[in-house]
Amino acid sequence: MSEDGVLLSVKGVSVSFFSEEGVAKAVQEVSFSVKRGGTFALVGESGCGKSVTALSIMRLVPEPPGKIMSGDIIFEKTKLLALSEKQMRGIRGHKIAMIFQEPMTSLNPVYTVGNQIAEAIELHQQKKPSEAWASSVEMLEKVGIADPEQRVREYPHQMSGGMQQRVMIAMAVSCEPTLLIADEPTTALDVTIQAQILDLLDELQGQTGMSILMITHNLGIVAERANDVAVMYASRIVEVAETKGLFAEPLHPYTQGLLKSLPRLGFSGERLQTIAGIVPDPLHFPAGCKFHPRCPIGCNDRRCQTLEPKLKEVRPGRCVACWHAPGYEAG
Amino acid sequence: MNKESQEKAKWGTSYGELVWGEFVKSRLNVVCLIFVIFLFLVAIFAPFLANDKPFLIRINGQLHFPIFKNLRSTDYCIFLAAIVGIFELLLIGRNRRRIAPSIRGRVLWRQIFISSSIILIGTVLIFVFIPRRLDATDYKGMVASGKATDAIFAPIPYGYGRTNLKLREQPPNREHWLGTDDVGSDVLCRLIHGSRISLSVGFVAVGISSIIGVVVGAILGYFGGKVDFVGMRIVEIMMAIPVFFLIITIVAFFPRSLLNIMIIIGITSWTGNARFIRAEFFKLRKQDFVQAALSLGLPLRSILFRHMLPNGIAPVLVNATFGIAGAIFIEAALSFLGFGVAPPTPSWGQMLSLGVSTTGRFLWWLTLFPGLAIFFTVMAYNLVGEGLRDAIDPRLRKAA
Repeated sequence: MSEDGVLLSVKGVSVSFFSEEGVAKAVQEVSFSVKRGGTFALVGESGCGKSVTALSIMRLVPEPPGKIMSGDIIFEKTKLLALSEKQMRGIRGHKIAMIFQEPMTSLNPVYTVGNQIAEAIELHQQKKPSEAWASSVEMLEKVGIADPEQRVREYPHQMSGGMQQRVMIAMAVSCEPTLLIADEPTTALDVTIQAQILDLLDELQGQTGMSILMITHNLGIVAERANDVAVMYASRIVEVAETKGLFAEPLHPYTQGLLKSLPRLGFSGERLQTIAGIVPDPLHFPAGCKFHPRCPIGCNDRRCQTLEPKLKEVRPGRCVACWHAPGYEAG
Repeated sequence: MNKESQEKAKWGTSYGELVWGEFVKSRLNVVCLIFVIFLFLVAIFAPFLANDKPFLIRINGQLHFPIFKNLRSTDYCIFLAAIVGIFELLLIGRNRRRIAPSIRGRVLWRQIFISSSIILIGTVLIFVFIPRRLDATDYKGMVASGKATDAIFAPIPYGYGRTNLKLREQPPNREHWLGTDDVGSDVLCRLIHGSRISLSVGFVAVGISSIIGVVVGAILGYFGGKVDFVGMRIVEIMMAIPVFFLIITIVAFFPRSLLNIMIIIGITSWTGNARFIRAEFFKLRKQDFVQAALSLGLPLRSILFRHMLPNGIAPVLVNATFGIAGAIFIEAALSFLGFGVAPPTPSWGQMLSLGVSTTGRFLWWLTLFPGLAIFFTVMAYNLVGEGLRDAIDPRLRKAA
């Protein structure tokens, strides 16, 4: 992977949350890179640290109780973690934009949608209010909202969830960011709308050439839309691969378990497999490999129980963190 | 589709309109609001309702307009403020229909800024240029002795500063509907003029305390952590001081002026607002739309006061209506104890205190009528506040 093609690279980022019960290491030594114009998916169960990773890229981890402990986030050759808050504000919304899981609560209920889109445009593109208003109408049209002249004057509560998510997308892409972070953009929507929203993101990506960092727990979305994918489990990335490679040959037992638990076309009658056990509590992670209590190999292996495997490149473009993965020991 | 629903469809329904629709559903709310508006009208037009000068009088065949000649600077200021205020309200209504939503916020702030400057500059000019008149002409005597004719007096033809010891301590009668006080002033006339004091104390004091409370609460709630810890301890220290005694102490040191009382009530009663706003901001900080606003890179000022404040202001608005009632009460209590505004400026609390006269008699009309005025005003404000609270959060009413 050449460095020129990389838009964002996250290197060894750790985030901890300090509370009275103890320190929760929500994200540990996470590294991945997003290519220009590509879609990178970050997959994992609830609470595995996907969203915190996204927030740390935006430098929006609530401080206190959270803190980015170490690591580097390099975006277009800028070290984001070294920027002042003011410089960071120039990047948020302008270069990196984000859309959230719940469109219903992500729009401010007291302003019309046009007002909210226009505010960001005015701020980042130094446009006059009337011009910004015109661009927000344009943006609504672009994200496929019918009758944008009318809709732009409406309040969020007058719209459906799908439309609200379209508005959120319009808001996020209004300043033509080079990176769009989509934090479970379709989780709160029903399936037909999900497909429409994902198609819309694809279309916008085709038009503007932006990169998308897609955070999801839906492997179906990953298979269809992402170029590369990283699988997260209990605060760490356990496997990074090209999407096709991951689905063809999952290396980490967790990824294997996830894929086995997916229903597939053509196979019928078989019971779907599940991964036994539950996600560990971030305050009390198990020693060694965090997956070992649930792992068919690791639960009996001394090394898995005591030593934590680091993410290692086992072949070009393919990283995994498992003692038993083929090629892991050699590399 | 009729015109109104067309307009609605065109502009959408704002939060304000939703709350208003909910508010007017209750008849009690409307009655109380009308009563409050009525009080305002009485306060604004006090010199035309109760005045010993006639509107119009013919002396030696020449027409005179003594009431207008004798208006004082304060009267002009109140008229100016009322006119500008009503004009501003009309403008706000018009903004929603005429001004493009993209610039409406800015237009509104500019209008408010211009209106307040007009009021401020006007007040200064009025006090500089309008001389104080002392017109001691006894117009009623002139009418009685036939020197003047065609006089039209105000409905209550007495001045609030009149002293007439021959008519002192009279119970209600045909001449003086609510009786007279210890120096022979008409009680109804003093009640009408006293409404100005009560209302302005309520508004100015609550205005001061709301602004301090909102700013302090917003900062504490948004930043949290150490800022919040230190700030809340200061708030708690303020709350631990018995406010009423603090006010009495301060009033004893400073001259007895209305402005001083308003400022003192204002700067001692902001703690409640600060706590409300702090709690709201704690809750709002975690809301997705605040995160979304942050992720758009909006500046802190916009996040705090544009995105968070309008969503958290409701309890402060409700508290403000209760606060107005409270301030009226404190002013009445201060005046009752003799720390309030100095006579002859009329104030409801001060009138109340005259009920127990120096001669030892209990003058029931001096206690009852100002007491009723205080009672109804405070009750109306409280009910408006309660109605507003229910309208803002309909779940509360169902729970109650």
